[in-house]
Amino acid sequence: MRGLKSIMANSPVLLIIAAFAAVPLFVANMYYLQVLVFIGIYAILALSLNLLNGYVGMLSIGHAAFYAIGAYASAKLTIDLQLPWVLALAGAGAIAGGFGYLIAKPTLRLSGIYMTLVTLGFNMILFLVLQNWMGFTNGPLGIMDIPPPSIFGFALGSRLQYYYLILTLVLLTVFSMHRLMDCRFGRALTAIRENELAAEATGVDTTRYKTQAFVLSASYAGIAGSFYAHFVKYISPDSFTINESFILLAMLAFGGQGNLIGPMVGAAALILIPEIFRPLLEYRMFVYGGILIVMMLVRRQGLFGSRSYRLRLTRFDPSPVRVYQRGDKFLPEG
Amino acid sequence: MALLQIAEITKEFGGLKALRAVSLHLDEGEIVSLIGPNGAGKTTLFNCITGTMPPDRGSVRFNGEEIVGRPPHEVARRGISRTFQHIRVFGQMSVLENVMVGRDFRGRTGIFSALLRPPRVGREEAENRERCLEVLALFGERLLPRLDQPARELSYANRRRLEIARALVSGPKLILLDEPTAGMNPHETQQVVDLIRLICERGHSVLVIEHKMKVVMTVSDRIVVLDHGEKIAEGTPAAIAADPTVIEAYMGGRRRAQAD
Repeated sequence: MRGLKSIMANSPVLLIIAAFAAVPLFVANMYYLQVLVFIGIYAILALSLNLLNGYVGMLSIGHAAFYAIGAYASAKLTIDLQLPWVLALAGAGAIAGGFGYLIAKPTLRLSGIYMTLVTLGFNMILFLVLQNWMGFTNGPLGIMDIPPPSIFGFALGSRLQYYYLILTLVLLTVFSMHRLMDCRFGRALTAIRENELAAEATGVDTTRYKTQAFVLSASYAGIAGSFYAHFVKYISPDSFTINESFILLAMLAFGGQGNLIGPMVGAAALILIPEIFRPLLEYRMFVYGGILIVMMLVRRQGLFGSRSYRLRLTRFDPSPVRVYQRGDKFLPEG
Repeated sequence: MALLQIAEITKEFGGLKALRAVSLHLDEGEIVSLIGPNGAGKTTLFNCITGTMPPDRGSVRFNGEEIVGRPPHEVARRGISRTFQHIRVFGQMSVLENVMVGRDFRGRTGIFSALLRPPRVGREEAENRERCLEVLALFGERLLPRLDQPARELSYANRRRLEIARALVSGPKLILLDEPTAGMNPHETQQVVDLIRLICERGHSVLVIEHKMKVVMTVSDRIVVLDHGEKIAEGTPAAIAADPTVIEAYMGGRRRAQAD
């Protein structure tokens, strides 16, 4: 009974999932499916960046670095070590997270703009490493012939299968992030964003939480990178420039941050706009830029830029709120 | 043994000595007021106690344990919580969430248990919520009907109350209140005075910075007076009210006061 109730309470979410699952029935065009897959990849990336920029309020402007690490790690693991893709995916997440830790540990002591510059620098350095380390990354030529994802021996081939795989990954990302943000962890991150000094003074270990958030964010980006590598089957440093990081930031700016809906909307919008205006040829970037500018003028917080857009997937305490009287029992814990 | 024992604390900002060898103690169950003219170093002393701004010299012992040099969150974990002179609530979070953050360090839920959700996560969350509601109930009908409202939408007085609730909810042994009645009308001020007494009755000790003399005189067991970073007097409200050095510090000289 309770199960049914919670299913009913989540029905809008379930409907949306069902709609996305049914999309291929109506969209047979391979090109459209490809665009949808890219929206999925960027949705995960934007959500991962949102963890830092939206929830903790740390501005990271070099997030493509972790995307790149995930992509290269996954390619290397499957080609050189012959690992199955599922393990490579986990490995890409772990390695990107590891790099995230290495960056976060020394720099989180820095405040605000200094940390931001470190992320920018890391992105630039990583790009140069990928570009010049011929022996390992094959430099600007990139890595070719990356095997398609195989799940327990079943190798993916068609666009349709990729679509369902990325849909699953996006759903897992949303679901896991929702669980993280819906309890102690998410509350602490938001408190740090709202007022770091007060959070620290109330007993929140801000450095620890920020490190955790950074590592998590990096591993989500790494997972997106892994999918990208095996989807496109060819990666080169050009896909992971600073420009890529800025596109992610624009997605957050457009869709809104600090919730789980905004970044996905932003990703979808900023992937779709250039595609829709393809007939305008090179002028389409004018439209792209113009829409962003108008957006910033009209609605600065982004389309869904507030905490009130919440996915309520779970509720802890469905019981009605009790009203307490002033004399009620209240003793400090020993 | 005193709950809080501050010895010879000195804090300098460049050439300015904000605190000069200030010592004071606070026993368990006591309400001590910290008063003094603006710039006397009251808030700096709070910052030194909570680790927000460690002192240059001197020691702060809490429960017999040295806490100078510990980061603020560890000081909070040991049982000292505080409110701020300039209100610092988590504006975008709801009233209930604000208070729940106050119990963050009592939680056990980490990343993995948040993802896997063993039953204890739900229990912890429910217990946390329960206790927050109990604390919010201390403020009568002020905060309870507004549980889901973002804190930034609260009135000024309610935001102060919310800060106090957030500080109380972790069950601290000592609570530091930095001007809890600032900007409140006489009626609200009276409620805060009642609340401070109530907090004390519930077993918390209180160190409070306050400017309103009526509040100070009615609420405190002891008063400590700071002026230009030095402790110039300490004693019961009656003794402080009669202390000539205090009157001098506050009124800017006795002679002028008599001349008027």
